[in-house]
Amino acid sequence: MSGARGLNWFLLLPSLLLLAVLLGLPLAAMLAQSLQPNVLLSFTGPALDNYGYLLSRPYYLQVILRTLRHAALTTLISLPLGYIAAMLLRDLSGRAGNLAIMALTFPILAGPLTVALGWMALLADGGPFLGPLVRAGLIAPPRLLGSETGVIISLIQFVLPFTVLTLYTGLRQIQPQLQEAARSLGASGAARFLHVTLPLSLPSVLSASIIAFSLAASSFISPHYLGGAGQLTLTTLVSQFIMATFNAELAAAAAGLLLVLMLAAVVGITLAIGRFIRP
Amino acid sequence: MKQLCKAAGGLYLALLYLFVAGPLLFVIATSFNPATSFPAPFEGLTLSWYTAILARPEFLSGAGVSALVAALASALAVMVAFLAAYALSRPGGAGGRGAMATLLASPLLVPQVVLSLAMLQLASAWGVGTGFWGLVAAHAVYVMPFALRLVLTGLARFDFAVEEACRSLGGGWWATWREVTLPLLRPSLVAGFTFCFILSFVNLPLSLFLTSPSTATLPIVMFAYIESRIDPMIAAVASVIVLVAGLATILLDRYLHVRLVD
Repeated sequence: MSGARGLNWFLLLPSLLLLAVLLGLPLAAMLAQSLQPNVLLSFTGPALDNYGYLLSRPYYLQVILRTLRHAALTTLISLPLGYIAAMLLRDLSGRAGNLAIMALTFPILAGPLTVALGWMALLADGGPFLGPLVRAGLIAPPRLLGSETGVIISLIQFVLPFTVLTLYTGLRQIQPQLQEAARSLGASGAARFLHVTLPLSLPSVLSASIIAFSLAASSFISPHYLGGAGQLTLTTLVSQFIMATFNAELAAAAAGLLLVLMLAAVVGITLAIGRFIRP
Repeated sequence: MKQLCKAAGGLYLALLYLFVAGPLLFVIATSFNPATSFPAPFEGLTLSWYTAILARPEFLSGAGVSALVAALASALAVMVAFLAAYALSRPGGAGGRGAMATLLASPLLVPQVVLSLAMLQLASAWGVGTGFWGLVAAHAVYVMPFALRLVLTGLARFDFAVEEACRSLGGGWWATWREVTLPLLRPSLVAGFTFCFILSFVNLPLSLFLTSPSTATLPIVMFAYIESRIDPMIAAVASVIVLVAGLATILLDRYLHVRLVD
């Protein structure tokens, strides 16, 4: 079969080249730049001073913590919400089920920019929900725009379709006969969930968590439009460094930090949930 | 009791869908509101915001740039994804397919803003402008994993024995691909292209640092517009995008019978 193997490598070559040239090379250039001195910091490069600078200033530490907090909260809230939805969707059949799944891909294809416009209007103090309440004097203006709550609401909405679709795929792969077997052995609904459905769905819970965390941590549009300059995250900080303060080296270091933190989070999530997955 | 559970489940799903799709529906509703501020109470119905788009050439040229970038990036992505998916799916292939599929999905783990910055810094390290092709490159590498996913799904249902049949009748590998494999996989290839096209067309962060006035994509034009002011015209632009995305969703589901989950 060495011929078949050779053919396989030949067929994989274009995609591997695409990754190497259009992803690996740019990232390498960016990391190289992150080790260079800049207008704020002079050192004899290449060195890690840019990273040290970002990690030693309370302002930037807050940005880093905020990014992680957004991603963690979004993951923790969207997982149970998505799990319940995926379980309900699994029980839908035929046309209704198809339509429900199709409706979930719709916001993904419409893109986060159009959705963010909707949130900017809906969450405004004078918007259709809050406006009447504020004008009637029932509530104080909640000022959700520019607040962390606003960003997290829109992040959850952005991430939910992905979580539901991933969990739905996982739940559908569990054979219904296993449920029947547990039922015939006298297991109650709660016991069937705890001992059959939940353990078997853990691989999809793992992928859904990784997807939710990465999407939230790397989101640019939600923190930019709903958080603004007072709620910078690493992605919006990168764009500030490039478009406002023109510091390409610090931008590269901030982007490098985001990459490292996301990789660490993926490893952490895999270890945390993977422990419970039975081989 | 059972009825009650069912009703509660239905209510839960209805609220979840309202939460997920509500902002989009609201943007569409706003685009017909004659009020000049955004958001504003509804004052009636008008199409004037849609005609106002036509008076702003940057939106039309932005849509043109976006369409061209999306078409080129998706075509490249689908081509390399097809070859890779074929290698990963055919019988008698090597082991390590899971690891290879994971490696090929790695662009999904790179934040789009970071990819945009990396492409900018590679160009500046080489002393060239990013230009149009830097834009296409960033979009292509980002959408490739989605094409791979859809083509792999299609190949999972493909019976490789039909290739054997074609070869035993004297067809060479090229004839087999052209006459048998590619036509049978057309739905997944078209679906992969459509999906990648839309994802690229609506994407803002990938293009953030890579555009110039002559290569501004539609989301970049919207981004620049929103920085200065926000009015229902931008909602009308968004509604057009939502409409296109909606049509693509229906096309993917009804005509091609391909979806992200199966």
